[in-house]
Amino acid sequence: MSDTILALNKATKLYAGVPAIDCVDFDLQRGEIHALVGENGAGKSTLTKVMAGVVALTSGTMTLDGVGISPKSPLDARNLGIGMVFQENSLVPTMTVAQNLFLGQESFYNRLRGIYIAAQSFLQSLNFDVSPTATVGALGAAKKQMVEIARAVLHRATVIIFDEPTASLTPEEKKYFFDLVGDLKKRGVSIVFISHALEEALMLADRITVLRDGKKVVTDDAAKFDRARIVQAMVGRDLSQSLYGVRKTTVRRAGERVLTVQNLKMAPMVRNNSLSVFAGQITGVFGLVGAGRTETFKIVAGVLKRDFFHGGEVILRERPVRFRVPATAVRAGIAYVTEDRKVEGFFETASIARNIYLGLLAKFPAGRTLLSKREANTLGSDWIARLNVRAIGDQAKVVELSGGNQQKVVISKSLVQGPNLIIFDEPTRGVDVGAIVEIHELINRLADEGKAVVVISSYLPEIMALSDRVLVSRQGKVVEEFSALEATEEKIMYAAIH
Amino acid sequence: MGTARLIAAIREFANQVLGRGDATITVPSFDGALKPNQKLEEADLLLKCAAPEDLATDGANLYLADGPRLLRLERDAATEIRAFDQPISALACMTGGALAIALDGREVRVYADPSASKPRATFASGLSAVNALAVAPDGMLIATDGSQKRGVDQWSTDLLDRGRTGRVLLLDPASGSVKTVASGLNYAFGALARRDAMLISESWRHRVVAMERDGSTTVVLPHLPAYPSRLSLAAAGGYWLTAFVARSLLVEFVLREPAYRRRMMAEIEPQYWIVPRLRSGESFKEPLQGAHIKTMGVVKPWAPPRSYGLVIRLNEEGTPLYSLHSRVDGTNHGVVSAVELDGDLIMIAKGPRRILRLKIAPLDIEFGA
Repeated sequence: MSDTILALNKATKLYAGVPAIDCVDFDLQRGEIHALVGENGAGKSTLTKVMAGVVALTSGTMTLDGVGISPKSPLDARNLGIGMVFQENSLVPTMTVAQNLFLGQESFYNRLRGIYIAAQSFLQSLNFDVSPTATVGALGAAKKQMVEIARAVLHRATVIIFDEPTASLTPEEKKYFFDLVGDLKKRGVSIVFISHALEEALMLADRITVLRDGKKVVTDDAAKFDRARIVQAMVGRDLSQSLYGVRKTTVRRAGERVLTVQNLKMAPMVRNNSLSVFAGQITGVFGLVGAGRTETFKIVAGVLKRDFFHGGEVILRERPVRFRVPATAVRAGIAYVTEDRKVEGFFETASIARNIYLGLLAKFPAGRTLLSKREANTLGSDWIARLNVRAIGDQAKVVELSGGNQQKVVISKSLVQGPNLIIFDEPTRGVDVGAIVEIHELINRLADEGKAVVVISSYLPEIMALSDRVLVSRQGKVVEEFSALEATEEKIMYAAIH
Repeated sequence: MGTARLIAAIREFANQVLGRGDATITVPSFDGALKPNQKLEEADLLLKCAAPEDLATDGANLYLADGPRLLRLERDAATEIRAFDQPISALACMTGGALAIALDGREVRVYADPSASKPRATFASGLSAVNALAVAPDGMLIATDGSQKRGVDQWSTDLLDRGRTGRVLLLDPASGSVKTVASGLNYAFGALARRDAMLISESWRHRVVAMERDGSTTVVLPHLPAYPSRLSLAAAGGYWLTAFVARSLLVEFVLREPAYRRRMMAEIEPQYWIVPRLRSGESFKEPLQGAHIKTMGVVKPWAPPRSYGLVIRLNEEGTPLYSLHSRVDGTNHGVVSAVELDGDLIMIAKGPRRILRLKIAPLDIEFGA
C-alpha cells in the first residue's frame, strides 16, 4: 500500500472564471499532520473544500488510496472516509452532544438512552471529557471542537481536515486540542489543518504546504521551515520585520482625554474597571480570555449594559454617558470593530457596498436618512479602494471574501461613520499576515490622524507592535499600565496573571 | 422653583438608590500625567528623622520641622536650630528671613528669624489643626486649618467622620488679626499664594481650588485619585502638589456606610481601621490582605493602596504635567511636603520618616515638561 492516502493532481477550481486554486499538486501521507498555510485568498479553504466534497474541481484529479474520486457532497466525502471540521462549527446548539454525534444516522426509532450510552462509550474511547447529555450550546469552544472531531472519527474518517481549529480557543484549550490531534495521529488518522498561527503549524505539523494566490509555492518537512521562511513563501516578500519584529522606540504623546471609564461594573465579567483613552494614541488592552476587556468596551459602545445599580461611569469628553443601544454610541463618535466578525460584523449574504452603507445608516448623515443606490455603491467602491479590499467588485458578497478582506469590510463599515474613538477588538484574528500588515498600518494611520484608538488583543506581539500605552486587564479590571517603551512581554504577562 | 427643588430631591434620592450621579462610588485611575512610576523609590535618601512634618525654604536655606525640633538642612546633614515644647505642624518662610511656625496645629508663631527667642506675633485663638502655612504677596499668612473638631494627628478620624469643618484663614502678623476666608471645607490641607488669590487643597474632596479673598472658589484640579496636601512653587513656573494618601474603592465604600464606620471606630483599634495610612504592611491585621496585595509573597505594585507616595507637578493653570510615585510595593509613602531648591526637589516621606531628594532637570526631560 502506498504511503500517500490522498492526492490532488493539477487541481484547479474557478469561480466566475477566476481561479481560486490553480494547478495545485498536493499529497497527504498516511498518519501525517499536514499544515496548509497562506494568506487569506491563497486558496487554502477552497483546496480543503474540494477534498471534503463541498465544491467540485473545475479540472484536475483527486485520488484516495490510489483510486480516483470526485465527491459530490460532504456526505459523499464522509462515506469515503474524509471528514472536515469547519471553522464555524456545524453543530446544532439546542441538541445534546449525543444527538449531534448521531445526527443524520437516525433510524426509524431512536432510543435516546441507547444513543447516550453509545456516545458515552465512544467519547470515553477517544478520551474526550464531554458529557453526552450536555446541550451543545452550553459548551465552550474547545468542547464543541471535540464534539466535531468525535463526529468525524465516528464516521470512520481516515482523513480529517481542520479549518482554523484553534482560532477561537483559549491557550489552555489549544494545548488540549494539540493533544487530541496527537492522539488521532497515533490512531493512523491523516490530518490536514489550516492555520494562520504559524507557530502552531511549525510545532504540530509533519509537513507544511504554502499556498499563494491559488498556487502551491512549496511543500516541505516542517523541520526545514522557520517562521521567516514560511512568511516569505506566503507573501513573496520578507515581512518579519514589518510585522511584529520591530520594537517601538518612540510613542505618540497623549492628546486630550477622550474616554474615561470609572468603576464600571457588569457582573460577573467587569468589576470596578477604570481606565482612560487619549486622542492621538493607540491604547492597547491586553488580558487573558475572560479578563473583561471586550465586555468593558462593549459597554462603552452601547452593545452591552453595565449594572443597573452602582454600575460606574462612562465619561466621553467630560460628559457622563450611558448608551443603551449602539446607534447612540455611533452618533457620539464611537466605533466598535467586533472580534466576532462572522456573527456581529457583517451581513454575509449582502454585498460589500451594502454592508458599508449599512454602517453609515447607523449614523445617518446630516440631513439625510437614505442614500441612493448609486451613492451607496460609490461609497462602497471608495472604501474598497481605500482599504484595498480584494474582491471581484463592490457587489461581491462578503461571504465570498477571505477572512482578511472580510475584516477590512468590517473596519470600513465602522470608519464610514467618522468616529473619533475606534475600538478594535482582536483586529487580526483569523487574518493572514499580509492583511495583518495592512490593518496595522491602518490602525497606526488613524492614531496619527489624531483619533483615539483602542486595540484589544490576546496576542502579545500585536499589542507590543501597535500600542503607545498598554493596559493590562485581569479579572474584570485594568490592573496595570505600561508605556510601550517600558513594556516587556514578561512584565505584561506577569500583570495579566497575578 | 419648587418644582425644580422637588425634581432635584427625587433625582438625588434615585441616585442614592441606583448608585449614580453624586452617589457613584468611583475612583479615577492613575493615568495620563498621573501614570504610575517608581520615581520616588529612586530618590536619594537625604536623612532619616523621628517625625518629619513640613519643609520651608527662603531660596537659600531649607528648614525642616522634625517633631518639636526646627532643623536647617544643608546637603545631607541637618542642624538643629531650636526646639519647641510641642510638635511643629507647619512652616513657612517669610520676607526678611522671618519664619512662621504652627505648633500642634493650635498656635501659629512668627519669628523675625529662626533662632529669635521671642515671637514677633502669635495667633492662638480658635485654631485647631493648622497644617499648612503660606505667605501672600502683601505679607499676610495664609493658613489652612484642617478641622475645627480634630487635631492635626487625627486626620483619619476626620475623614471617617466626613469632616467638613476645614477653614482657610488670613493671619496678619502686623496687626495680629485673623480673618476667616472660607469655612466648611472638607479638610483644607495645603495653601499657596497665587497672584492676588490662593490655591487651596481640599483633601476629602480630592481637589485643588483657587480661592479669592472673599472666599469664592474655582476648581483648578478636580477629581484626583489621591488626597491632595501641601503645595509649593516650582522654579520653572507652576507648582508641586503632594498627595499624602491615595484613594481606594474600599475606603470610598466605607465612607458611604455610616453605621459600619461608627461601629468600626468604636470597636477596632485605630491602626486597623479601613482608612488610608501613611505607611502600611506592618501587621497582618491590616485590612486588605491576601491575594489582593501579595502573590507568592511578592507585593503587587498595582494592588489597592492603603498607603502611597505621590507628588504631582502642575503647570500655572493647575494642569498636571507629570507625577512621581511610590507604589504599593514601595516604601516612600505618605509624602506630605515637597519644595524645590537649587534644581533639587526635596520631599518628606512621612510614612518611613525620610527626607528624599530628586534632581528635577532629568525629570523634566524624561516627561517632556
